[in-house]
Amino acid sequence: MASRLSRIWPVVSRVRWSSALGTRCVSQTPKSSAAGAAVVSDLQPVSPALQDSHGHTEVNPFETNPDFHGFHHHDSFVDEWNMRLAFFFGISVAIVIGGTFIHYLPDHGMRQWARREAERLIKQREAEGLPLMTENYYEPGKIILPSSGDE
Amino acid sequence: MLKVLVPTLMLFPTIWLSSPKWLWPTATAQSLLIAFISLAWLKWASETGWSTSNMYLATDPLSTPLLVLTCWLLPLMILASQNHIYSEPVSRQRLYITHLTSLQTFLIMAFGATEVIMFYIMFEATLIPTLIIITRWGNQTERLNAGTYFLFYTLAGSLPLLVALLLLQQTTGTLSMLILQYSQPLTLDTWGHSIWWAGCLIAFLVKMPLYGVHLWLPKAHVEAPVAGSMVLAAVLLKLGGYGMMRMMIMLDPLSKELAYPFIILALWGILMTGSICLRQTDLKSLIAYSSVSHMGLVAGGILIQTPWGFTGAIILMIAHGLVSSALFCLANTAYERTHSRTMLLARGLQMVFPLTAVWWFTTNLANLALPPLPNLMGEIMIITTLFSWSPWTIALTGLGTLITAAYSLYLFLMTQRGPAPNHIKGLSPFHTREHLLMVLHLIPVILLVAKPELVWGWCH
Repeated sequence: MASRLSRIWPVVSRVRWSSALGTRCVSQTPKSSAAGAAVVSDLQPVSPALQDSHGHTEVNPFETNPDFHGFHHHDSFVDEWNMRLAFFFGISVAIVIGGTFIHYLPDHGMRQWARREAERLIKQREAEGLPLMTENYYEPGKIILPSSGDE
Repeated sequence: MLKVLVPTLMLFPTIWLSSPKWLWPTATAQSLLIAFISLAWLKWASETGWSTSNMYLATDPLSTPLLVLTCWLLPLMILASQNHIYSEPVSRQRLYITHLTSLQTFLIMAFGATEVIMFYIMFEATLIPTLIIITRWGNQTERLNAGTYFLFYTLAGSLPLLVALLLLQQTTGTLSMLILQYSQPLTLDTWGHSIWWAGCLIAFLVKMPLYGVHLWLPKAHVEAPVAGSMVLAAVLLKLGGYGMMRMMIMLDPLSKELAYPFIILALWGILMTGSICLRQTDLKSLIAYSSVSHMGLVAGGILIQTPWGFTGAIILMIAHGLVSSALFCLANTAYERTHSRTMLLARGLQMVFPLTAVWWFTTNLANLALPPLPNLMGEIMIITTLFSWSPWTIALTGLGTLITAAYSLYLFLMTQRGPAPNHIKGLSPFHTREHLLMVLHLIPVILLVAKPELVWGWCH
């Protein structure tokens, strides 16, 4: 389809779309017989530029299947079931059940616990009159520095 | 980890053994089930940093959101491709889905890798299916050029990375992230060490992409079919960001000075690529350049190496992945109908496709970082941390935010508003599939507003 499109694209891009797309073509090949009953699709002739090399035109899938869901062009049964599966597994399972699962996950990274613990410790230390935090992370007495005279 | 990896590998038999009628429904259903199972990774046991499944694969709060995004994207890619692939022979359809699935497998192993070499191998392995998707299923002749640019830009960056990793293995004796995070800081004082620093990061900067080495991205994104564009924008760019965040841990004292030019390049790139967006006539090209712009902000946030920078980068990566992929899906719906990417040909769509206009509107609002969506939260965190690094950056990032809003609005107004030209009125209606696709993109973004701590990473 890509190769067909790339072949007809220069021609297609120059077609006047307003007249060409005004028709909803159902038939795959244009009728060549002028005699006989006029068919709706014959009222405006399909320009040869809109056809690919096999003589097929762009078919509107909603003509053959008004309930076309976009999944399968020719089999409406598969189309409908594909839609149902996609919606069920996509929305009902993945988003609804998955979303509920995520909602009920425990405290992610213990962040809420950390906040509660900090508030509890602050309250406790203020009540006891202790400083909220010691200024030095390490005990100064335990740090052994080299003497400044050498090297 | 295996409960997701094995079903993903089992997708290959599903694809090749299904009857042609049921190929797409079964692939869609199985990949959605895999996405559902992958949500179990979001539980973070914080007693250890890593939730390990074995010595070689593990998840931590940085890789988990990206893993879930990867698993979520495969069913979306399958949904998006179903229409334009249906006219091909069945074996080619199977091959297409096989490429998408193999990408998924490599990406899961890349994000889950604990050894940096395994991450590197998977990083390179993702190039192959992507290259095949772009060059075989792209729609224009430029796809060959695009594939070449894509392959060789990434390879040129990643060969120095291989050398740098082997050097690191020699010096430290290990390349396991579990061990390296506790190793002593390396003494990095010679010119050779500076080149090693650059070698570690350039591959990821090319992948992100950073502004100077971004030329592969517009080509690859535009020429790829919709699934290729989706996976490129949503996940493959984030491989670069993820790799940078992992490598930064070991590169520490040098990065304070050496990151300087790259931060400036990233910030300048936001402005430049944003301005290019305002001049684009090609719809996909506009979205591609907007990806470069957002990733410039992410690159800046990562190179700053502060907790807020990393957290903002992760949030923005996830949010941008979903929104950018959604934009490419919307562009594809216009492309499938008008067979052209020119914005002038797909204008005034709101009159004809009103529900789709809602999706265009929401996606563009998300792209321009509307609060309370996570796009804004990530951007704000990165802008704040850049400001505390140097107050002058606010000029660049503020202007960048303005230009982002301008081109997102331009995109919306061009495609949706105005009178619908005659050729638009004859276009076929939107499919249920396309609406479902957009909803599956946008609902996670909106749900992330409710529980953003899932994507805050391990720094915050």
